[in-house]
Amino acid sequence: MENMIYILYICIVVPLALSLPLIHKASRRIMVFIIIGISSALFISEVNGLLLRLMNFDAEYVTTIITPATEEVIKAIPILIYAFVVSDNIDKLIGSSFALGIGFALFENTYILINSMEVVSIQWAIVRGFSTALMHGICTAYVGYGMSFIRKRKKLLFCGTFALLTMSIIYHGVFNMLVQSESLKYLGFVLPLASYVLVAKEPIMRYKNRKKSEKNSISE
Amino acid sequence: MYLIANIIVCVGALAGYIYGEIKLFRTGKNMLYAQMIALSLLCITYGRLYHIVRLVTDGSITESFQLGFLGVLGSLIFFFSSNFGAVDSLVDDGSKELKKYRLIALAAPAAAVVLYVSLFLWGEVAPLWRVQGAVLTLLVIPTSYFNLKHLIFPDVEGGFVKCLRPYNFLVLIYMASMMLECFAMSRNNGLLTLISCCIAGLSAAAMIPMVVRGSKIWKT
Repeated sequence: MENMIYILYICIVVPLALSLPLIHKASRRIMVFIIIGISSALFISEVNGLLLRLMNFDAEYVTTIITPATEEVIKAIPILIYAFVVSDNIDKLIGSSFALGIGFALFENTYILINSMEVVSIQWAIVRGFSTALMHGICTAYVGYGMSFIRKRKKLLFCGTFALLTMSIIYHGVFNMLVQSESLKYLGFVLPLASYVLVAKEPIMRYKNRKKSEKNSISE
Repeated sequence: MYLIANIIVCVGALAGYIYGEIKLFRTGKNMLYAQMIALSLLCITYGRLYHIVRLVTDGSITESFQLGFLGVLGSLIFFFSSNFGAVDSLVDDGSKELKKYRLIALAAPAAAVVLYVSLFLWGEVAPLWRVQGAVLTLLVIPTSYFNLKHLIFPDVEGGFVKCLRPYNFLVLIYMASMMLECFAMSRNNGLLTLISCCIAGLSAAAMIPMVVRGSKIWKT
């Protein structure tokens, strides 16, 4: 069906946008970034379609070399703006960037689901849910994590941002290559999950330590 | 041959990063300079991982542009940012007495240009490698300038210039080996690629121990 991607976008984004005034401030930030992630996915789908046509529909080349770069750059832009204009707080940046990546993956998964109704299965859903969604979240969280350091020194700004982007682009490229290969695709499914454990450990530990110190200060 | 060469660099850089993660990120101390060097090693690891996965999944890394090349660029940018953004203002106060050291340091970028012209512009070299060589040289120019500058500059109070000299020397070796590898791959020379990768892998593995030794004296 023509315009399906726009129909889907409206169906998902409008209810989320309408909920914004009613939810708590901290949750609102996350929700805004989810919406930005969904919008980025819509935008990038057009860009990727154009690139695919330019590359004579060589899907393997485009998905392992070009789309990781375009997707990561587009996803990073809102995070960079947030880091420079609003806050460089590490917790906020990681949370927001992860939400953006998840929003992106959410829309991508839904669109692929609608386009491949005949072949999808529970296994497909588990793989997409755990691997692709996490991969998008982790790649954007990399940029968010790095931005919290880079903003502290203006001299590091451009170089640091580019270096962080290259890391997330390569990670994305490795993932795309792994999941497309026959022999190593299971490694591709595990890679984001393993990275998630490493990425999530630090904020959780920081949260626990903060709670512990708050508890201690109350008891004193 | 390419696979073994990339595995060597990947393992060397990963070992260096893991050592850096333990020594620099988990101590709770703010050592931005050293942390950026550790991140550059992570960048190298990712780039090589991309090449490894490409080779394992029956692809070729010499015929078209590969995202793994961004790993090399990212690492150079991290090296440049760490020297230019984090320590240069402490090493060089801009005084006229130090002008001769600044001039001598220009020898490194000049050597990079000479290497590029002699290795990539003369003879039958594919346009892809001419462009990749040019991009690599463009990043080697500023990075090598600061590395050589910090290698030859007189020591300052605290003695950290002296302590970081072995590290700066290793980065110069790493950059030379990267140019050599780029040249070897442009000529499809597996043996030369292996030799340059062995040098790059060893220098990457040794960087963090050198930085850790230096950062015991000076921290930023």
